[in-house]
Amino acid sequence: MDETAHGTRNRRGDYRPNKRIAYPPFGDWPAKPKALLRWAFGFPGFLFPWNAIFLGIAGLVWAFATPSMTTMAHLAPGWMAFILGRNALLTLLVFGAFHLRLYSQKAQDTRFKYNARWPSAKNDAFLFNDQTLDNLFWTFASGVVIWSGFEIGLFWAAANGYLRLVSLEAHPVYVVVLFLLIPVWRDVHFYVVHRLIHWPPLYRRVHSLHHNNVNPGPWSGLAMHPVEHALYFSTALIFLVVPFHPLHLLFTLVHAGLSPAPGHAGFERMELGGDASLDLTVGHGHYLHHKFFECNYADGPIPVDKWFGTFHDGSEESEARMIQRFRDLKARSAA
Amino acid sequence: MTAWVVACRTDDLGPERVVRFDEGERTFAIYCSPEGDYFATDGLCTHGKAHLADGLVIDGTVECPKHNGIFDYRTGEAMAPPVCIDLARYPIRVTGDMVEIEI
Repeated sequence: MDETAHGTRNRRGDYRPNKRIAYPPFGDWPAKPKALLRWAFGFPGFLFPWNAIFLGIAGLVWAFATPSMTTMAHLAPGWMAFILGRNALLTLLVFGAFHLRLYSQKAQDTRFKYNARWPSAKNDAFLFNDQTLDNLFWTFASGVVIWSGFEIGLFWAAANGYLRLVSLEAHPVYVVVLFLLIPVWRDVHFYVVHRLIHWPPLYRRVHSLHHNNVNPGPWSGLAMHPVEHALYFSTALIFLVVPFHPLHLLFTLVHAGLSPAPGHAGFERMELGGDASLDLTVGHGHYLHHKFFECNYADGPIPVDKWFGTFHDGSEESEARMIQRFRDLKARSAA
Repeated sequence: MTAWVVACRTDDLGPERVVRFDEGERTFAIYCSPEGDYFATDGLCTHGKAHLADGLVIDGTVECPKHNGIFDYRTGEAMAPPVCIDLARYPIRVTGDMVEIEI
């Protein structure tokens, strides 16, 4: 595929897609129903492909790879280890697939790669001086463990009647609407947690580990400090107060656990042969956050970054505004 | 007390290139701009302490290889996060085919 048909690359090697990052047209007046439908049901859009894929994975996990509620009512090493192993396998398959194709096989070289260089293999910012090994360590030693911990704890609490479960048969509308709200909730929660860990003392001790990945690859997605993992996966604690079907909990955690893979792929699209490609623009805004640090704290449909002046839509104008904001901040700090 | 010391030869540096120069415990980065002018700064990034001589030099800037922070090597200005502290600069001159800096 020819990347120049979809974007431009500057002398530094940075790829800038022609397509700008945009929020759904909720606030537009006069209303744009066609644009709203396109956002909701288009490809790529709110539902397809990613939310549908993560919901599908959660459905398969619920049907074939989750112990019964009766089993989970009693804390026992067997089923807890099963959940840990299942989540590790999911992580390996999804993150590994992106990494294998884009970074190990380099199947499309640097076409559509935002940063023309490959991740560092000799950089003392990372454990073992290697970005990928560092990312693998934090993903499996901390990320998958904490993700599984939230899942085990909440399923145990639900199985013992401490949390309120609902069924599809009794509350079909509620169950469906809650599925649609989960990605929105995840965006709001992610924004709040993300702003919190950009507070300088927490940034230095916690979030800087994730931000070492200035040129991220798929495995960078869950390469976080354990404190950040705990905050990040605490998105599932919404079910302490919101009645839910077990599939809601799995969707929330699968979404949180696996969406960082496409979100940190570092490519605008993955070539599939001929003119076919998998759209990865879902990660463009977050790539810009990794590159510039102080923009695009949120990652979904709620325009909080626009409201608070930190939105970078990928354009040169946004970049100029961001550089000016950085200079103003420096000047204020020096004063 | 400062002194002029030889940092490198002019033919060690083409346009948009950088070389590292160590003097005692100190380390410096010596640049040649696209116009052929020479500049000298501290050799380590003010953020991650990586050697800037390993960074990308382009359009009057050097990009740290560790976290991709960007400095204008002509002014020392920190231009893009995560770098916030400007680089120290040093007087530089060419004597014959030698590049000298005052440190």
